[in-house]
Amino acid sequence: MFSFQPDRSEYPQPGLDGKLEIDLETGKYLKLWHGPNHPGITGNMSVELTVCGDEVVEGKTHVGYLHRGFEKLMERRTFIQVFPIVCRVCVPEPDFNEYCYAAAVEELAGIEVPELATWMRTLILEMGRFNSYMMFLGGIGGALGLGITGQWMTYVRDLMLDRFEELTGARIYHMFILPGGVRGHLPEGFAARMEEVLQTAETYLADVDKVMFANSVFQLRTKGIGVIEPALFEPYGVTGPNARAGGVAKDVRKDSPYLVYDQLDFEVATGMDSDIFTRAKVRRADIQTSIDLIRQILKKMPKDGPVMAKLPNVLHWKIPRGETYIKGECSRGEYGYYLVTDGSGYPRRINVRGPSYTHAMALLEHLIPGTNISDVAALMVSLHTYPPEIER
Amino acid sequence: MMRDLHALLTPRHALGPLEIRRENLAFVTLPASNLRGFLTELRDTQGFSHLVLLTAVDWLEEGQFQLTYMMNNRARDLTLGVRVMLDRTTAQMDSIHDLWPTAATYQRELKEMFGITFPGSPRLDEEFILEGWTDLPPYRRDFDSLAYSQQTYAERPGRVTHDPREYMKSKLYPGG
Amino acid sequence: MSLREVLTPFSVWKRVLDAPVSIADPFSREASEHYRGFHKNDMETCIGCGTCEAICQNGAIDMVPVEGQNTEKGDSGLRPMIDYGRCCWCALCVDICMTGSLTMSNEYTWVDSDPDAFRFIPGLNEPWKDKQAGYKRENGRVLSGTTRSPMGELHANERIDNFNEICVGYTREEAILEADRCVECGLCVATCPAHMSIPDYIAAVRDQDYDRGLQLLYETNPFSEVCGRICTHKCETSCAAVHEGDAIAIRWLKRHIVDNVPLERRVELIGAPKPATGKSVAIIGAGPGGLTAAYDLAREGVKVTVYEALPKPGGMMRYGIPEYRLPYDALDRDIAVIEAMGVTIKCATVVGVDVQMEDLRQSHDAVILAIGLQMGRGTRIPGSEGAGVERAVDLLRRITAGDPTVPVPETAVVIGGGNVAFDIARSMARLQKIKYGRVGLTLTALEDRAHFLADKEELVEGDEEGVLILDSRGPQEVMRDPSGQVTGLRTWAVTSIFDAEGRFAPAYDESDEQIHQGALVIEAIGQMADTSLLGDALTEKLEWNRGRIKIDSEMRTSEPWLFAAGDAVKGPDVINAVADGHRAARTVMEAIAQGEVVQ
Repeated sequence: MFSFQPDRSEYPQPGLDGKLEIDLETGKYLKLWHGPNHPGITGNMSVELTVCGDEVVEGKTHVGYLHRGFEKLMERRTFIQVFPIVCRVCVPEPDFNEYCYAAAVEELAGIEVPELATWMRTLILEMGRFNSYMMFLGGIGGALGLGITGQWMTYVRDLMLDRFEELTGARIYHMFILPGGVRGHLPEGFAARMEEVLQTAETYLADVDKVMFANSVFQLRTKGIGVIEPALFEPYGVTGPNARAGGVAKDVRKDSPYLVYDQLDFEVATGMDSDIFTRAKVRRADIQTSIDLIRQILKKMPKDGPVMAKLPNVLHWKIPRGETYIKGECSRGEYGYYLVTDGSGYPRRINVRGPSYTHAMALLEHLIPGTNISDVAALMVSLHTYPPEIER
Repeated sequence: MMRDLHALLTPRHALGPLEIRRENLAFVTLPASNLRGFLTELRDTQGFSHLVLLTAVDWLEEGQFQLTYMMNNRARDLTLGVRVMLDRTTAQMDSIHDLWPTAATYQRELKEMFGITFPGSPRLDEEFILEGWTDLPPYRRDFDSLAYSQQTYAERPGRVTHDPREYMKSKLYPGG
Repeated sequence: MSLREVLTPFSVWKRVLDAPVSIADPFSREASEHYRGFHKNDMETCIGCGTCEAICQNGAIDMVPVEGQNTEKGDSGLRPMIDYGRCCWCALCVDICMTGSLTMSNEYTWVDSDPDAFRFIPGLNEPWKDKQAGYKRENGRVLSGTTRSPMGELHANERIDNFNEICVGYTREEAILEADRCVECGLCVATCPAHMSIPDYIAAVRDQDYDRGLQLLYETNPFSEVCGRICTHKCETSCAAVHEGDAIAIRWLKRHIVDNVPLERRVELIGAPKPATGKSVAIIGAGPGGLTAAYDLAREGVKVTVYEALPKPGGMMRYGIPEYRLPYDALDRDIAVIEAMGVTIKCATVVGVDVQMEDLRQSHDAVILAIGLQMGRGTRIPGSEGAGVERAVDLLRRITAGDPTVPVPETAVVIGGGNVAFDIARSMARLQKIKYGRVGLTLTALEDRAHFLADKEELVEGDEEGVLILDSRGPQEVMRDPSGQVTGLRTWAVTSIFDAEGRFAPAYDESDEQIHQGALVIEAIGQMADTSLLGDALTEKLEWNRGRIKIDSEMRTSEPWLFAAGDAVKGPDVINAVADGHRAARTVMEAIAQGEVVQ
């Protein structure tokens, strides 16, 4: 097969130290605004590219398009009033915010959550992970001009949203994991309807395997491109599938089991090549893990029992001075809430640790120089970024 | 485990008492000048190589900023929250971007949102989220976000509410 | 790269034949059963407590008056109006709703060209008003407590042979838990006759600031130690929490505050009265009405003298309410605070005998009459005249006074179902237990158990103490043996108490007759005032209303120098007397200021 090598003889090479002087006046460089709207990025984020020919010499991530000051807003709300806004920090996978916040409050307030509620929470989190990956598969396809995966995955995601709707009462912002437990039990016949969705998903995913992963074009565009050296993982705080694709089995579900993960049977998917293809492949394997976990949870979870602990009157709820950090493995890596309380009825400080914060900022900016302009989209999407968790 | 580690490192780094939150999470405070040495030792000899997050807490009433460096040892499943208390008026701290390049992002955000400066940190003064912001750094406790929104945005006209207690008084026993 | 990897993708062309998955008509897609859609509110169940507004983190809810919803006891008459420009459908308002009136439908499409249409009052005429599907809280009201902290009390065995106080009072932990349940809606304030600032003093308990709590109590009630024990606590019937769970124990929390502030500290916290004005007021009767007026006037710098016929002050609080409900030292402390304000109480001074009304009029700027209802009413049934039949208030007074001639037979029958009937029944039961080692007491009431006039606790505790409580029994005759000794009470079953017009006219089933054994029959069916102290001339001069001295809403009698308060003119309990006392004092102050009081 042929390969295309651009002729760079007319253009200056980027300096080796990476700190090259870019003089726009020379006319040899072009500033290109990549974003803020991009199908592979859920939300708005842009990368300010400096290109020289078709080669990118510098990339700077710009966020802030969605900044609503959540962390500050939370400081002005009582502990229960924070509950409806945390989910908004991450649109495609909002439940992690609900879980981390609830668990942090429960820990500092000394509230014991009923067992069934922890199973329900795990179920919700896996459903959310599944949906988040649907967005990813659609996005990575879209970044490379493969529109059909986006359409299919949107459909499958919608079927899962139906299950969210019947379980939680809402499709996007579920607001179901309340400090103290969850808001309700499984509806009658839920497991059977969920099984239908999972089976439909599996047939579509099999087609995604054919149309995308087994596709020579997709492979050419993603293999060996956008490699993250494993040595960068710790310096750049890389977690989740981005690290797992480089052979490091980082997964909070295994490393520090929370909820009921220690009672579930699953393997952490990993890859070796650490390129765009492998990162997508790891996520594809993770989807199957989620599907299996959802089946396991529905089979193993207690059939009945309370789902809410007794709360104090939430209108006067005060939590003693303290601080804690609660983390979990979301579809993009380590997600965490750092909660500081000061004895009042309001949180002193809440800091949201979203994996995109490191992946789309320092890491992406480090990876971009030297890439081809046409690969930037796939690279960016392959890091699986949700900008609201960067700017909170 | 956390206790052994604390006992081992306390003499060298003048650590404060260990506050254990749960089996795999604890917090410790140390003098700002010892931070870089402590984090380096944690990273290089104790396996705390993952900088989970770096953020600040504004203890306005006490005149201090708290910086929290959340450090994680994945193999042993231990997380240590390392706290440094800064004088709120100087609000300056050593940068750790050379230890963890990703820290530059955190430090840039802290500069913008809290006004805490980290000399030497790359692109520290570039805008991160805000554009053309001239007010107090907005995540400081003395920045009143409610007052800001009231000045910046208009309330929807025509909204009136009544306090049930006062309303009942006006209806049932206006004279007291 | 193999040819396979070029060709495989084309295999998915088979999907071309799939039917489209899009929903053709999204507007008629029914949302799920538990969908959090547009709000509904059951207007009749809603009490307008505003808790939904308090919890709303978006500030989307306003409480507004709604036509057809009246402000009345336990219902502010306000209803939530929701701004859908702000609402995020988190349903915390539904979860916290105290009555369960606020719910959600599963409706989610609403198109209108007028943006103000989306500020609406659910429950009026929205199209989804009658839709059943939609979010309902599955776990009940979990966001504030539904169960009352139990009050520790002596067991029936521990209390039946003595007059020790039954309720031990809340510990701090219990009180904080109970205070935590209050949602601060303030619906109770209107129901309290004295309009005590209930949510504020409950907040003081939560904050463990008893000094502030005590100051709040004294703003509206100088008998907080008394009311903290024996108030009829109608406020608790208006409590928002009562709709799904127990009402907040408002009375016990009030007591808890007072229990936690020593007497000297109370006087200190209240502070010194205003400088003397040179004015003086006489008050007749040292009950709750008279003493409250005395307290208020003294605080204003008026010289107050209270004239009390009985040996000790307190009126019915001392001579009516048994010690096991209200210990005398608790009452003494409340009165001590009032005396500390400079009030002079002249006990054992009978107006009309030891001092004349006319003298009081001459020597003071005004006179307040607060004589209470000291005389018991009789049933006038056959056999009720003569020895062996007593009136409850007389007996209670004698028991308090330590009168050794109080008759304590082995068996006795009480007629009446109010608190006074229970007070005498349970007092007599204790005396019987002390004297004979067992209780032999029957209480008969016209009402059925569900409609007893007495507090529910009285029935429960009466049962526990071995009082035989018989409901729906109408007294017909006091039975006497040939020597005239009372042997019992004959009753018929009651079929109805009121006639079609709502007048008191008990009807009986004569075939259901019982005779209750007892050597003593005690009538506890009501009291009246003894107004003989007024003297003929004044009695003639005053305007009357159905046997009571007529007063206006500001406690003025038809004589400009004479004011009246308390049970004698209004009734029926301590907290109402306190409220009257305040009003009388205020009117007197105004009258003095305006020089209206002409000697």
